[in-house]
Amino acid sequence: MYRTQKTYITAGTRMPELIKENPRILLLLEHLEVDFVVGDSTVSQLCSANSIPVELFLVFGNLYNGFFPDRKEIRSIKDIRLIIRFLKSNHHYYINDKYPEIIGYIRELQDLTKNEGVRLIKKFFQEYFNEVLEHLDYEDKTAFPYFIELIESRKTAPKTNFSVNDYQEHHTDVETKLGDLKNLLLKHIHITNELSTRRKLFFALMELEFDLKMHSLIEETILLPLIAEIEKSRMNEQ
Amino acid sequence: MSSDRINIAILEPSDIINEGFTNILLKNECYFFVFRVYSLDELSLLCSKEQINIVVVNPQLIINKSHEFTRLRRSYNHINWIALVYSIYDNELLSRFQSTISITDSFEIVSNKISQTIVRNTSSDATQEELSEREIEVLMQLINGLSNKEIADKLNISIHTVISHRKNIIEKTGIKSLPGLTIYAISKKIMQLGAE
Repeated sequence: MYRTQKTYITAGTRMPELIKENPRILLLLEHLEVDFVVGDSTVSQLCSANSIPVELFLVFGNLYNGFFPDRKEIRSIKDIRLIIRFLKSNHHYYINDKYPEIIGYIRELQDLTKNEGVRLIKKFFQEYFNEVLEHLDYEDKTAFPYFIELIESRKTAPKTNFSVNDYQEHHTDVETKLGDLKNLLLKHIHITNELSTRRKLFFALMELEFDLKMHSLIEETILLPLIAEIEKSRMNEQ
Repeated sequence: MSSDRINIAILEPSDIINEGFTNILLKNECYFFVFRVYSLDELSLLCSKEQINIVVVNPQLIINKSHEFTRLRRSYNHINWIALVYSIYDNELLSRFQSTISITDSFEIVSNKISQTIVRNTSSDATQEELSEREIEVLMQLINGLSNKEIADKLNISIHTVISHRKNIIEKTGIKSLPGLTIYAISKKIMQLGAE
């Protein structure tokens, strides 16, 4: 997925070129609530027109293009609320966009082939997605409120049952099962014909996987280090 | 998905060399990710966080830090340590690495050297995909919900052997989760559906 030779995005990069090179940037725009009729604007023009800090767009965009941010770039991001809004938009995309699409293709395959393996795949995916939902719920109800409270309160960190380890464990589990699903489809479940539905299913799984990967990377490599710094500075103030 | 990815760390101060090296890797067959680090400390932190397979180091940066470097190498001796050489160094210094890549090496040579280290990384007995009879037995017990210890007792083998079978099952099938392995077993007719 990261085997890219894509452009390293700078403030002067032209948006249309960026999108033509990596169409997944459209999803980035969608998560930032920016329309994709971008005219001929540069990254910095697009950002100022939509009140998005350019530093954040550069870090996120480059992550989509396969470049990890360094510490200095991560620290340049000041708007933690926007990161959380972005992550919530990811949630919406999984629940309302990808899940119905994937289940739709699996049902279609089931109807067309009457293959027993497909029924098992459906069950597997549904159980898998329930786990994803649990994690999203954990983020919505425990992690994000804690982060928001931490930014808003001037004093010490409020008591909470948020745990960084839980967070990372969830992510690993989510990735493992999706990997299993792809391997089952590619190596083990024999379905005859229906190439086009199977291809659409596979593409949809890849899109889900890509966005989940971006989601967990943004949380683990950007959001959590920023949160840890705030926690540390609060401890010192005490 | 991260299991077949090769993670490479590069400790090289020159942007030009670093970019050039990364570009050569991009044309290689393997699926990899490059982490760039700027100091031994950073490298050590990275090794503790990520599963690094190959470290490429400019020997210039370890000249006065041989203790630090040796300690790091010793704690991660499963990693392949490669020197990226573009001036003349003492042989003793270079002997601390498993291999060297010279800046004058051609694309093919660099590619080959990297591929060789990768081949050494993957175990050879997992190349064929079919599970052995013993592995199938272990798989069935796993699906039945038995722990490593219980499987060892039941099949009269050591826990160590059970773990090694499990590792082979994962490598051969590419499936890591228990529900995934269950589907595998059913689709390969190792297991009847009713037992699900």
